[in-house]
Amino acid sequence: MLSKRLITVLTFNQGVLFRTKLFHPDYRYTLNFVDAWSVDEIVVLDITRGAQVDRKAFFDVVERFARRCFVPLAAGGGIRSLDDVKRFLDSGADKIVVNSGALERPALITEIAENYGSQCVILSIDAKKEMGGGYRVFKQAGAEPTEHDPVGWARQGVERGAGEILITAMDRDGWLQGYDIELCGQVADAVNVPVLALGGAGSWSHMTELFERTKASAACTQNIYHFTEASIRTAKKVLAENAVQVRI
Amino acid sequence: MAIGVIDYGLGNLTSVVGAFEKLEHQVRLVANSDAMRDCSRLVLPGVGAFGKGMANLAERGLIEPIRAFVKSGRPLLGICLGMQLLASRSFEFGEHAGLGLIPGDVRKLDAASHGLRIPHVGWNTVSLRGQGGLMAGVSDKSYFYHVHSYAMHPADPGVIRGTCVYGEEFVTVVCRDNVWGTQFHPEKSQLPGLKILGNFAELDD
Repeated sequence: MLSKRLITVLTFNQGVLFRTKLFHPDYRYTLNFVDAWSVDEIVVLDITRGAQVDRKAFFDVVERFARRCFVPLAAGGGIRSLDDVKRFLDSGADKIVVNSGALERPALITEIAENYGSQCVILSIDAKKEMGGGYRVFKQAGAEPTEHDPVGWARQGVERGAGEILITAMDRDGWLQGYDIELCGQVADAVNVPVLALGGAGSWSHMTELFERTKASAACTQNIYHFTEASIRTAKKVLAENAVQVRI
Repeated sequence: MAIGVIDYGLGNLTSVVGAFEKLEHQVRLVANSDAMRDCSRLVLPGVGAFGKGMANLAERGLIEPIRAFVKSGRPLLGICLGMQLLASRSFEFGEHAGLGLIPGDVRKLDAASHGLRIPHVGWNTVSLRGQGGLMAGVSDKSYFYHVHSYAMHPADPGVIRGTCVYGEEFVTVVCRDNVWGTQFHPEKSQLPGLKILGNFAELDD
């Protein structure tokens, strides 16, 4: 039976691993991830910013992971063109993640899907709760609001060819208080592709709650305390004990 | 002699090469028939559409050399699209002829009638048939990473060495003499996947 996935999301600045708390670089960690056998998939995102961004350090990271971690690898960060996509895939990524690039030019999603297949495209959506209820999609690492709501934008993205949706609850990021069940549930109900939830995971019960209360296909975490083999394995034990189908 | 991983412009080669290197086997990319000749065995990877896969092989003049290699008795492993290309033909985006090394058709997964989404993507369990060879030492019902919308329907059920269920049961491991195929990605399936690739590296000619 198809299992639910536990996915680790790693953000890098100039090739160095960062933990983001509410989208601000928090502190640095050295990288040693090759022994994580229980993780189902890895997403690496480049948040290096600047006019003359040299992404070489990040592509080295992608290649290192591709060579040594034998799980599906998604990579993203500033993708705006097919040339960008090719560079990411040539470095060893299986899938690419688009966010602001797709908001600026939605046809990008279709271009990538037509050339590499929908399974290669993850549309990443950052959403924040609005004052009067409802959610708004933000771009540029959560800095700029857009006119989209996450459900509408997710639907558009899938129509244009996105193979999966990564939905991030900006308000929850780094607070270890649980996933935004309302947000993740709405998006997972709205589309017929896998929805990967990110933002808020602090304990194993949060992941159980996500799978029990929404149709999300994957629980993602950026919390580095979840990055050890022991903790991912424990997370899966807890999920299995709660009758969630996981790969053990 | 090295393991040759065929580079025909499709698919992610880094993990396949990395896996053999981790297992300490000589491996190299091969993009033409000369390079193929000196290999002890070949891997045909691939992600994407069947028609494009066969077109890319044809463009690079690789179809006959692959057939000749198989005739020489040396092992060939097709992965994902690479497994599908082993078939006689596929019905993906029209009808396309395959390599014909394992007779059978490639057809779309019937997921819709089970209320399931296409593509089949994620970790799913594989039920084994028969013993040894590529799957030696792999536990029954191990999880392997799948990402595909089509599956092979072999003419001879005797070639089926592993099945998986997504709505319907479909074929995910095949073997005909020295030709093997896996619908899933062993290079993306961690320990059981590495075991398979290690087995392939050590298969007798």
